[in-house]
Amino acid sequence: MTTFDVIIIGGGPGGYVAALRGASEGLRVALIEAEQLGGTCLNQGCIPSKTYLKNAEILEEIEQGKQRGILVKDVDFSMEGMVSYKNSVLNNLRMGIQSLLKARKIEVFNGLGLIKNSQEVEVISNNEKTTLSTKNIIIATGSRPLIPKVDGLENVQYHTTDTIFDLKTLPKSMTIVGGGVIGVELADVFSSLGSKVTIIEYSNRIIAMEDEEASKALHKKLHDKGINILTNHLVTSVSEENGCKMLVVEKKSGEKDVISSEELLIAVGRTPNNSATKHIDLAYNGAFIKVNDYLQTNISSIYAVGDVIGGYQLAHVASAEGLTVIENILGNQKKMDYSIVPRCIYTNLQIASIGQSENDLKSKGVDYTVTKYNLFGNGKAQTLGKKDGFVKVFTDSKYGEIYGMCMVGPYVTELIGQGSAYMSLEGTVYEMAEMIQPHPSLSEIFMEVANLSIGKGVH
Amino acid sequence: MAREVVMPKLGATMEEGIIVSWLVNDGEFIEEGDPIAEIQTDKIVLEVEAESSGHLLKKLYDAGSTVKVHEVIAYMGEENEAIEQIENFSESKDNKLEEVNEEEKVRKTPAANKLAKDNGVDLSLVPGTGPNSRVQKQDVENYLQQDTSKITPLAQKMVKDLKIDDKDLIGSGQHGKITKKDVLSAVTKTTSTQERESSQLKKVPLKGMRKVIAERMSESYYTAPHVTLTTEINMTECVILRKQLLPVIEKETGYRLSYNDLIVKAVAHTLSKNKALNISLQNNEIYFYEEVNIGFAVSLDEGLVVPVIENTDQIGLAEIVKRSKEIVANIKNGKLSPEYFENGTFTISNLGMYAVDSFTPIINQPQSAILGVGRIVEKPVVKNGEVVINSMMQLSLSFDHRVIDGAPAAQFMTDLKENLENPFRMLV
Ligand SMILES: Cc1cc2nc3c(=O)[nH]c(=O)nc-3n(C[C@H](O)[C@H](O)[C@H](O)COP(=O)(O)OP(=O)(O)OC[C@H]3O[C@@H](n4cnc5c(N)ncnc54)[C@H](O)[C@@H]3O)c2cc1C
Repeated sequence: MTTFDVIIIGGGPGGYVAALRGASEGLRVALIEAEQLGGTCLNQGCIPSKTYLKNAEILEEIEQGKQRGILVKDVDFSMEGMVSYKNSVLNNLRMGIQSLLKARKIEVFNGLGLIKNSQEVEVISNNEKTTLSTKNIIIATGSRPLIPKVDGLENVQYHTTDTIFDLKTLPKSMTIVGGGVIGVELADVFSSLGSKVTIIEYSNRIIAMEDEEASKALHKKLHDKGINILTNHLVTSVSEENGCKMLVVEKKSGEKDVISSEELLIAVGRTPNNSATKHIDLAYNGAFIKVNDYLQTNISSIYAVGDVIGGYQLAHVASAEGLTVIENILGNQKKMDYSIVPRCIYTNLQIASIGQSENDLKSKGVDYTVTKYNLFGNGKAQTLGKKDGFVKVFTDSKYGEIYGMCMVGPYVTELIGQGSAYMSLEGTVYEMAEMIQPHPSLSEIFMEVANLSIGKGVH
Repeated sequence: MAREVVMPKLGATMEEGIIVSWLVNDGEFIEEGDPIAEIQTDKIVLEVEAESSGHLLKKLYDAGSTVKVHEVIAYMGEENEAIEQIENFSESKDNKLEEVNEEEKVRKTPAANKLAKDNGVDLSLVPGTGPNSRVQKQDVENYLQQDTSKITPLAQKMVKDLKIDDKDLIGSGQHGKITKKDVLSAVTKTTSTQERESSQLKKVPLKGMRKVIAERMSESYYTAPHVTLTTEINMTECVILRKQLLPVIEKETGYRLSYNDLIVKAVAHTLSKNKALNISLQNNEIYFYEEVNIGFAVSLDEGLVVPVIENTDQIGLAEIVKRSKEIVANIKNGKLSPEYFENGTFTISNLGMYAVDSFTPIINQPQSAILGVGRIVEKPVVKNGEVVINSMMQLSLSFDHRVIDGAPAAQFMTDLKENLENPFRMLV
């Protein structure tokens, strides 16, 4: 029996990226995937949601076209067309991954991976079992939607992100439980397509993890679009009447209300997939696999990356973790650095942030300065007709170290990459002020906010 | 084809060695097994021997140069043979012209040159620490380390503000770039070791030879009141004597005469006339030894041992050379038989192969005195009203003041100085 240097269980952005790097470093790699290559990200997450959000943006722009003198008659929309376009995008990307894996001679096994011990993994497919032997194992089995305990939910037909991207028809109305990133992105999509959307969120604001001002800006934008946002609301029970989902919601104050809609989407969070690890004695942090700074589990030759270890549940974090593990398997002792992870929300008022948030800084008692620059003053934003938004930088006043940034506005999910660059190269706000940015561009806001921060505001 | 002579790896932990001296001139013929150069590791000085007979074609480094293990230090081959490797090693033929011009400005070793080329370093900016300010590989490495472009803007601001010298910082960022973390860790370095990351801290229990040494050294230090006398010796005559005796003794014993052998001889000779130092205090009794048995400290990977040459004052220099070389060879090969270490009456600790001028040795109990030997350096000295360059060496004698008084110790040092400065007399 051949022994692999590393067997990776799970073909999402954590697993397949580790496989590609491992193979290009000369390791003998096997990749086991139970469903489809690309994982949640490609099949039920980042890519389908962003494809749909583009549709939402196009529809919104057509509507706003009138102001610019563009008159479009008879705009129509086909759910079927959108789904099949999305599927073609997914297919292309999946094929891309497949051919990369093949080109690097990675052995891909289609089946369920099950760790027998630190050296053996079983692949189960169609009742056939194969045992593979290996020196190292990477668990990259990701996560699935978390279903909260709500009275009556089990008797109701509801959607999760596993099914929502394959709807056959556009619902007239939809209730989304959860006002986090996934909830607001899908609310934006379905509202743009024409559904009457309600968001129910338990905490006092949507995207509660993000900057308060950003959260307010998005709330306003979604509200103006016609989305009904109920914060401080808890769903206490669900039932179905005449094909309509009836949700009893309770305010924190105790008041009750009933929300009815054609479809129900549960988007309250995700839970790790631990099916591969039931035979071994792993340490856990709640339901998530516990790892050290080097992403090693309590069994030293078994590593875990991505959503299955909790923390940031983001595709690029999963990939970075996968690459880090390969370094460690190669003996290069590399720690994960989570201090500058960009976090993006792709609603049609985009939000992107990086580094420490104002809340982090406050809770740590760090002495910091905030400088805010409004997008309104930016020429390019005016030409785009997207003037809502701002950039905020949190800095220390002594050295001008950039602690964090938060951006709201068009394409900020692309612009935040500049923030990554400044911060990872330890550039300070002084370097940021000196860099020449193209004109007219949204990038100019970096130069503006940095100059403002050092007391040399330009515009 | 020319054959390479490389810096040998003489121990598991050895990473580089210093070429103490070349024993063969360019062009000279060497027999297989003959020593080519003296190499100093972190512990000892050893010789690199010719693996086959041939002519020494070219030395790549000057004496004093530090060279990484396995790196080529010289080439051997047929007489007047051209060495192609050297050209590949130091420079491609294309830029030979530019090289010649540069050569005028900067003296450099081939390895330094290659490293500088690979990293685009302007050698004229690198301060050389080799002989005649020759730029060595280590100098280029140091220069690369302190390259100011290799610091992040934030770290640079912090360094300025905290008034730290960025040359002292070790960069942990990409390609050794100094980051905020590096500055902070330099600032907090003084905090307790417990706070340090355990991964950076290697702990080894005190055991075996190390433990014995630790116990004996502290016992000696705390029980015997140490007094140390120092003096400077003009070794010029010894240098001459050694040169003259080298071939003679080598012929007789097959070993090379070292300065240490001469010093052992001189100490034994002096001690036989100063028996007040050849004593020991044990259980409230003073032992006056008749025999002069000189021990000399030998450093091993795991610690330190002091083998003894019995009746050192009775035997000739050639015999001292033979016995000491054989004992050391055996010890280094792991033969630590007890008879090597018994009956010592006086110890010499020689750190002359290191950059040590003088030090205060701790007495090797139950003996009552120990001599510390520093390196030989050329210095301007005044002789007959004129400044001349002579080879000088410092000696320090630590003695147990419970049983030895200052005067006999001083007399010993005076006599020893006299003997070493007129070593020919000793042999008569
Ligand atoms: C709607 C939605 C939108 C998102 N948008 C973004 C976004 O815009 N940006 C972003 O960064 N992140 C986004 N995410 C999060 C992102 O999808 C995840 O963080 C990322 O996919 C985690 O990668 P992973 O490799 O850990 O796991 P996954 O992508 O979940 O991959 C795990 C894979 O392992 C397989 N598997 C599980 N168990 C086994 C087993 N026993 N044997 C074999 N195979 C197994 C699964 O089938 C799956 O393919 C989104 C998520 C959702 C749901």
